[in-house]
Amino acid sequence: MAADTLFRRITDYASRPDPYPLYAELRESKVAPQDDGSYLVGTYHEITALLHDPRISSDRRHRSDPEEARLAAELAPSFIGLDDPEHDRLRRTTMRPFGPPHTPGRVDAMHGEIVRIADELVAGLRGRQRVDIVDDFAYPLPVTVICRLLGVPREDEPKFRGWSDAIVGGLDLNPDQDPTERTQAATEARRAMGVYLGGLAEGRRGKPSDDLLSAFVNDQDPAGGLNRIELMVTSVLLLVAGHETTVNLITNGMLTLLRRPDQLELLRREPALMPRAVEELLRFEPPVQMLPQRTPLVDVEVAGVTVPKGAPLILVLASGSRDPRRFRDPDRFDPRRTDNQHLGFGSGVHSCFGAPLARLEAQIALTALLRTLDGLRLVDDPPPYRRSPVLRGPRHLLVEHDGAGV
Amino acid sequence: MNIVVDLNRCQAYAQCAFLAPEVFELHGEEALLYVPAVPEDQQERVHRAAVACPVQAILVGGAAGADVR
Repeated sequence: MAADTLFRRITDYASRPDPYPLYAELRESKVAPQDDGSYLVGTYHEITALLHDPRISSDRRHRSDPEEARLAAELAPSFIGLDDPEHDRLRRTTMRPFGPPHTPGRVDAMHGEIVRIADELVAGLRGRQRVDIVDDFAYPLPVTVICRLLGVPREDEPKFRGWSDAIVGGLDLNPDQDPTERTQAATEARRAMGVYLGGLAEGRRGKPSDDLLSAFVNDQDPAGGLNRIELMVTSVLLLVAGHETTVNLITNGMLTLLRRPDQLELLRREPALMPRAVEELLRFEPPVQMLPQRTPLVDVEVAGVTVPKGAPLILVLASGSRDPRRFRDPDRFDPRRTDNQHLGFGSGVHSCFGAPLARLEAQIALTALLRTLDGLRLVDDPPPYRRSPVLRGPRHLLVEHDGAGV
Repeated sequence: MNIVVDLNRCQAYAQCAFLAPEVFELHGEEALLYVPAVPEDQQERVHRAAVACPVQAILVGGAAGADVR
């Protein structure tokens, strides 16, 4: 089939269970111009070079399509959609209460609490023969963690779940559909969630508590901190990213292991392999399949193809991480793989802000599930998938098990 | 257990400083300081940190440079 329809075929919902043969086709052309004017890149070395190329913008207001640029300009972007130096300033400010150099112990200190949350959730699975890994475990775990970290009441989950669905829906790249309505719904949801989170933060001004929303309004930052709008869009980014991605890492992980009982047994026997296994999952079944937001600021030549200024440039990370020019035996899931500089968290200045937390959550979650559930079997293979081709993962993952281990 | 970080390779992604903050420390925004002789109670954290390094700059081993596993 023609390479200029690859994007259409990748985003087609029927491709969701297994997009990898399409990625192999994409890698044959390295850069594939699409009939809708976008450019797909799927090879490891080209993606890596573009992720480190200052001529490539993350800000969709640089798109040459006027409608797209207009929609992008309706609401201030968070730092994921900005370029340096603004991106750098906001990311550093946001990092202050979250990680090194100012708060190096925050994620490590959450370890015990994540273990407790995971143990509570698996305890609830005992005695039930059939469970949904998504609804009963992989969704509530990261939501509870991100709520504690940000300082968002867990019981408000039904409220922000709807907004979050709409925001993720805005990322649903279906070239056969008019994106305007979907993008507007996503913008409305970002605005509503921003007002909600901004209100929570304001309520803590002068009454500091040990969470990020409180730190954003109470801590002294010599760089000036976040203004009201920045606080809202940043908090929205953290809440959405914190609970729409890790759920897929955990679920894709269980699905991958359930399909490979020998590897599942290996990890039960040797839990010390888990950190390496999670890196391999990030390479083999990454929760973020592609970065759809990039735009060249000038005409850029990639592997002999000129990508024009302002064109949508889509970097298919999940394809790059399966590139045989970079990884030996790339379609094999190998939890012992040592040479594994995958693109699961991107690379360069926009590399995943929450990566250390996601790593820890996935390691703890999978360890708890493997330790607790015996004789696990998949009920549906492939399971039903969520819509998005970008944040890809099962909507449900039904499993049956014989009982509880220790 | 001893470790060596290839500081020419290090790009300050700081995954190690999140995951094993008592062993790896960012000095300012970019420079990495670390404890080469890892205390017993930090070994699991250091293992996590070494595996997570996006540029694989951390060598772990009885003799650093030996297999990380």
